[in-house]
Amino acid sequence: MSGFIYNYYVLAGGKKIFLDQAGEEYMMVIISDDSIGDWGQALEKAFSHAGTQLVRFTADTLNIKPCTACSSCSGKTYGRCVIPDDMQLLLPKIVGCRTLVLVSPVIFGGVSSHIKKVMDRMSALGNPRYQMRGGELVKGMNIPSLNFYLVGVGDDLSEAERSAFLFLNEENRNIMNVKGRTFILDSSLDKVSLDKIAREIAHE
Amino acid sequence: MNKADIILICASPRPKGTSAMLLERIRAVTGGEVIFLPQKDSLDDLILAMQEATTIIISGPCYINTYPARLIELLETAASAGGFSGQKLYGVINGGMPYIHTHRHGLLCLQLFAERNHLLWQGGFVLGCGAMLDGKPLEKHMNRKTVVPAFAQFILHIKEGTPSSDSLYEQAQSPPGKLMTRIFASLLTFMVEKHIKKCGHDPKAPNWYLREQGPD
Repeated sequence: MSGFIYNYYVLAGGKKIFLDQAGEEYMMVIISDDSIGDWGQALEKAFSHAGTQLVRFTADTLNIKPCTACSSCSGKTYGRCVIPDDMQLLLPKIVGCRTLVLVSPVIFGGVSSHIKKVMDRMSALGNPRYQMRGGELVKGMNIPSLNFYLVGVGDDLSEAERSAFLFLNEENRNIMNVKGRTFILDSSLDKVSLDKIAREIAHE
Repeated sequence: MNKADIILICASPRPKGTSAMLLERIRAVTGGEVIFLPQKDSLDDLILAMQEATTIIISGPCYINTYPARLIELLETAASAGGFSGQKLYGVINGGMPYIHTHRHGLLCLQLFAERNHLLWQGGFVLGCGAMLDGKPLEKHMNRKTVVPAFAQFILHIKEGTPSSDSLYEQAQSPPGKLMTRIFASLLTFMVEKHIKKCGHDPKAPNWYLREQGPD
């Protein structure tokens, strides 16, 4: 993880760009649970080959506590999580990116607890307003035009595990009101295929 | 059923919320011990209790379409520990949205955990609009006429040790129509914005983290 400092600038028309300490614009945040392999690192390399500026964190090495449902982020400290841990490093990066990629082992058809902690704590970035989409209530994120990709990793997954994982992310995208896709990778995946996925995500 | 063999795990960090209320409703009929999932420190004692039980009931809130991270951590740790053989597992998940599909993944997750770890999945109950109850009795639920008897039937399945079908909770809750959804969206937005303003914030302001890193 790079401990970098960055700033944003507002361009004409209100567009914001985010710059790292070297003055480079970044578009993507990757947060990976690399406890079953260096998939986050492999994807980082693949995205770099595709020319995407990004920052990456490894959730399994950070100190991130579970959400306590204190409701402070939707009231007293609206939009801000009060738990003083490493999530305070991630939230400013997530709120500033165009594309969020979460990489997780597939655990019982869902994400790992490390990645789930990140997702639960992202409620501080949620839009408090309710909207109607496709005839149903959705909430959305307080991040304009976020793309959200979930990459699941696992060997010997059953069809039920795969379909539960795809179902979960589809529901996540719906409730977050964001675009994106789900990928499930296994250890037989070669570098060419990984590069192809990175190009697909980078160009969407 | 031996009452001492039943454990009821509350996966919510809120001891007086809807998850705890539903679990207490079950315990009043089945007996057993309610255990609140420790939000920090070791999960070993709880895993030991799960291994020694014959029936495990898990009730929790829905955070972004499935159970909270700490419950996933419990399942991961329990799977690593092993030692399960035929324990009956039931699940309850409740969420804010008035739909089944937005919360159903929680039960899928428990079912897959059970199948991978030699427990016996017995089914569960998905409750929409659970957050609105905020721990108040199920009789205050907007679909109380159908939800209350369906949940009673679910409890009966636990008591008798029989599987509970998804159709039980599916038939008890119908999603609101388009007009009601529009009214819900406006009403709920009005309420949350009022609360945010009462706390001294502008609900239409960009997110705090975005404002904090902007230029002066």
